[in-house]
Amino acid sequence: MLSDNDINLLAFTQSLELTTRDLYLTVVGLKTLSEQEGALLAQFHSHHVAYEQSLNGLLGKNAATARNEKVFIDFSSKLSKSSTPWAQLLEIENILVATHAKTIESIESAKVAALMASIVTVEARHAAILATLTTSDLSAALDNKAIALVAS
Amino acid sequence: MIALSRRELLRLSGLSLASGLVIAACGKQSGLVDDNAIASLGQAPKITPLAEAEVTDAVLLRTAASLEYNAIETYMTALDLGILTGDLAKVAEMAKRFTADHQQHADAVNALAVKLGAKEYTCSNTRIKDLYLAPAIKIITEDGNPNPAMDIVALAHAVENLAAETYQSVVGLLTDPILRADAIRIGQQEARHAALLAQILNPGLQGVGPTSNEQTGKPNIAAVPSAFGSLANIQLAIGKPKPDGSRITLILETPSLNSLIYDSVVCQA
Repeated sequence: MLSDNDINLLAFTQSLELTTRDLYLTVVGLKTLSEQEGALLAQFHSHHVAYEQSLNGLLGKNAATARNEKVFIDFSSKLSKSSTPWAQLLEIENILVATHAKTIESIESAKVAALMASIVTVEARHAAILATLTTSDLSAALDNKAIALVAS
Repeated sequence: MIALSRRELLRLSGLSLASGLVIAACGKQSGLVDDNAIASLGQAPKITPLAEAEVTDAVLLRTAASLEYNAIETYMTALDLGILTGDLAKVAEMAKRFTADHQQHADAVNALAVKLGAKEYTCSNTRIKDLYLAPAIKIITEDGNPNPAMDIVALAHAVENLAAETYQSVVGLLTDPILRADAIRIGQQEARHAALLAQILNPGLQGVGPTSNEQTGKPNIAAVPSAFGSLANIQLAIGKPKPDGSRITLILETPSLNSLIYDSVVCQA
């Protein structure tokens, strides 16, 4: 049984995963992408679908039903202005890593924290790969300077 | 209830009596004399009981620190061998950066352990070293190995995955939520290391997601092999290929009860 605190934090996390899922969906079919680039985006998109659904299962009737519209509009605007989606997707993945780690600080359930951890390690891998598509600078792939989002 | 006739009853009695005589005769023939002694050979060693060991937050942090030193030693060995040259020269640069990251991680988790009243641990994990790393390096550097440089990258990749898995797994074990967050902040960077090394072993976008070898059916190295971070054992295929094309496969597992750095374990650097 989840505490009210954990429910609020997880619902916020789920809304961010819904947002990221939708952001990937806006770029996954871009005609400017190669077949392999499209496949990469489809894979990462499917991961965010899996995260959103696992959180949905945990939350049950308390699940979030909508994405974070502010974050979605902000990033979809950035994506529409860019010739490639890599830098923007790198930024959102880094934000997710930072935000989920911050959330783990406040989650009471160790099991839920472990689930979040299993998401964070893969989103970090997403970020590392997306960074390699924008630059050969190692620090872009390794260092996360993103600031965590906070549930309002 | 079973009904027996008089004839059947007599036959069964006779059989029981005969069996008893045979058993008694065997006992006599064996010549055993019951002197109340139990046969023994040598002396049982005295058992020294292990110290009471509790898996505390500090123990988990000290264990994480020990793995950081395993990673540092792996990269030092890779660089000392002088085989990361040519196309793999950039891996030497990565190894230097990753070594610095692991030292930072070790310092960070040791600082957290000290805050909890424990002693810092600045040595590699002996069991991980003896069980996995030393044998791997021996196999990699043996004569006849056609590609020791790529194998050392594969070892580093396995160690990074081991570190990422370890931090991910301790999140569910640590009692303090703040420490859980600290752990995963480090673990996520180990995962990034692993992803970048995977791209050296299986380069290009086709090496990002999970694929399998068409001939062997075994999974290829992938930068992002699954949707959720795995805690499964890590397979490391290295060394000179056998006649059938297969290679020695080592199975690496995250530290368990017999490889944790308990309070009583002293670093003897």
